[in-house]
Amino acid sequence: MYDVWKNVLAEIEQKITPANFSTWFHGTSLVSADNGKVVVGVKNSFFVKQLRSRYFNDIKAALENNGVEVKTIDFEVVMTNKPKTKPREITYGDVKMHSIIEEKREKIKEASGHDSGLNSKYTLANFVVGSNNDLAVSAARNIIEKPGKSYNPFFLYGGSGLGKTHLIQAIGNEILKNNPKAKILYTPIAHFYSDFVDAVRNNKGKDFHKKFQKLDVLIIDDIQLIVGKEKSQEELFNVFNDLYQLNKQIIIASDRLPSQIKTMDERLASRLTWGGAFDLQLPKFEDKCAILKSRAEFSGIDIEDEAIEYIAENINTNIRDLESELSKISLLADVRGMTPLELIRSGAVNVRKPTKLHTVSARNIVDKVAKYYQLSVKEMCGKSRVAHIKTARQVAMFMLSKELGMSTTKIADEVGVKDHTTVMHGIKKIDSDIKLDFALRDQIEEIKERLYG
Amino acid sequence: MKIEVTQEKLSKALNIVSRIANGRVTLPVLNNVLMRVDNKKVTLTTTNLDMAVVDYLPVSKSEDGVVTVPARLLAEFVANLPKGENIEISAKDTKVTIKAGKYSSVINGTLADDFPELPEINEKEAVVFKIGVDEFKTSINQVIIASSNDLTRPALTGVYFNTIDKELAVAATDGYRLAEKILVDKVESEVAAIVPTASLQEVMRSLSDDVDEIELSFSEDLVRFRMGEVEIISKLIDGSFPEYRKLFPTDNDIEVTLPKDELIRVTKLAALFAREVGGSITCETKKAGGFSVKSVANEFGENDSEIDTEVKVEGKVNLNSRFLIDALNAMDENKIVVTFSSKIAPVLIKNVKSKKYTHIIMPLNS
Repeated sequence: MYDVWKNVLAEIEQKITPANFSTWFHGTSLVSADNGKVVVGVKNSFFVKQLRSRYFNDIKAALENNGVEVKTIDFEVVMTNKPKTKPREITYGDVKMHSIIEEKREKIKEASGHDSGLNSKYTLANFVVGSNNDLAVSAARNIIEKPGKSYNPFFLYGGSGLGKTHLIQAIGNEILKNNPKAKILYTPIAHFYSDFVDAVRNNKGKDFHKKFQKLDVLIIDDIQLIVGKEKSQEELFNVFNDLYQLNKQIIIASDRLPSQIKTMDERLASRLTWGGAFDLQLPKFEDKCAILKSRAEFSGIDIEDEAIEYIAENINTNIRDLESELSKISLLADVRGMTPLELIRSGAVNVRKPTKLHTVSARNIVDKVAKYYQLSVKEMCGKSRVAHIKTARQVAMFMLSKELGMSTTKIADEVGVKDHTTVMHGIKKIDSDIKLDFALRDQIEEIKERLYG
Repeated sequence: MKIEVTQEKLSKALNIVSRIANGRVTLPVLNNVLMRVDNKKVTLTTTNLDMAVVDYLPVSKSEDGVVTVPARLLAEFVANLPKGENIEISAKDTKVTIKAGKYSSVINGTLADDFPELPEINEKEAVVFKIGVDEFKTSINQVIIASSNDLTRPALTGVYFNTIDKELAVAATDGYRLAEKILVDKVESEVAAIVPTASLQEVMRSLSDDVDEIELSFSEDLVRFRMGEVEIISKLIDGSFPEYRKLFPTDNDIEVTLPKDELIRVTKLAALFAREVGGSITCETKKAGGFSVKSVANEFGENDSEIDTEVKVEGKVNLNSRFLIDALNAMDENKIVVTFSSKIAPVLIKNVKSKKYTHIIMPLNS
């Protein structure tokens, strides 16, 4: 292929000493040349000043001899993977400065007047659409276009790890993108409760109500965890009615239909599906491949199609598992210096083959959790406040609630704590911890695997 | 150009800057040290175009000017002059005269024009960390051992400075083992940059006892280390460091607490018998016997040593003895915790008390 830069180099090579040429010009490239703006790529910053001060005229002349128009020449360090830095300044000790991220968040907060609770990494662009979810996604697009006008309330249901949270947060994020002033609140139902309880305790029940009335979009996640607290269900019912009458968008996610949520008030249950109920199903093989590919692209993972098919074939549980398998394999491959396919072929990874879910009992879960943390059931369900025992106990509560949808009162009996508020606290603690603590999340996944495997 | 300075100060400075002017680059001027006097400020500078070392030399008398001198020759000449002697260096064009009492020599230097201008850190955008020297030294020594010198995988030939959860961590891996140390536990700014091992080694060598604090500034593709009178600017490595924290094993079911010195001894003993199998030794836990380290050399015999400790789960794992010894030597405390699993999962080694240092080793297939 004709490369003008090679001609330029050949010309410069004749003008200067070989040592200078090989030192300064080895590894340079022509990045771009548009309308006289020439950008030359160099290996690192050590080369920039010297090339500019000593060789500017040589480079300019050689470029022009080769028919390239030159007005300015810029030198740019060419890196495939630039190091990242996020200013500003100083650390250690007590000096505090806003990082850029915080500033941005502040700005968004200012614009909309409150924190939406949305995670901006969930977007519609990185949500893979397939036959398993296309209906729900097209409804979501409608909502983004005209919030509150169609599909209100939007009720989304499906098993865990199929992308419910992703889709509902994406709706929130897209609406916010179209209208940065929109007041949006994303809240898992458990947070709604604890906030409500706090508000009532501090005699701020009215403020709480007002806060919700001001919203343009309310997104509630994991509504199946609704529990039989009449006062707070009543509150949710009221909030729901208010927003609905004002044509404000309501978005609800659940792992099952409202009629199957035993703890839910009937009036509320019937209202939730007024706008229609949309489900997310297990993806088919082709969909799974598409998900993995998009994920790999998104995270810059280089992986062969065959390796993707291998993972898709072997993971039959949910999308979360697919993604975690993908990152596990790519990481191991990276560290061992193989491609993902070579790694799989070498037999170094055992892609797990989870079997069909079968029913588990509460006893079962308690036993498995205790065993996982190398505790006896008696130890775990005792009164010990030792950190790791307490965590194990909370994991057990969390799993009883998530896996079996047991009420907090029943869970309290099962793990031997006095009252259900302790259980609510425990579940909430783990729920929020796993968002940050990946080790904990993996532990819970592992326990699940042992439970169903 | 003219300076007057004591032998000790000049020798120390030349010693630091001359190391990278070692003739490995083709351009002759890079073997020279640039001496510049600008309004009483005296700097000695060398560069190999991957990094640059600058020493701010405190002098008693000076006259402005600039010249370059072969670094090695000057450093060795000055080092051999008697201590306590006052040295006067003066340059006329490219002739550099060095006088110290009865000793005198003339070295042919070159004009400074050929010496490359150094890149500068963008102070406005730089991310700056200030770290105590002792902490810095210990931490870098603890992780640098795990870095790779395999040039086909450049990203692993450096130490990764990265901020996770408001902590500044340093990490290195060669694909077989990995070490991470939390360097600062509360930082506000963020960074993710790979500093070349060679540059860090130069930084470590340049740290003298009278310096308490080191300042690191990251900006674009550069990092600058400031420590007392010495400043080192280095390029950063182009590449992406693996998301290594995902490799930390979380479900190792076998855990033993062991005395470090004892474990080093038994590992060294076992290593003697492991030479023909590439240093492979077997670590095993038994409820009855505690922790044992074994190795077998078909020709010479075999070795089996035990350390008493409480064992809850039995199992064994094969390890490279050299990696294990490296890891153990890097531990801060006398009591350490080793965890592993009978499945092929990384072996994790930590101090009993301090959680800041993590070392993991991939087991060998038996």
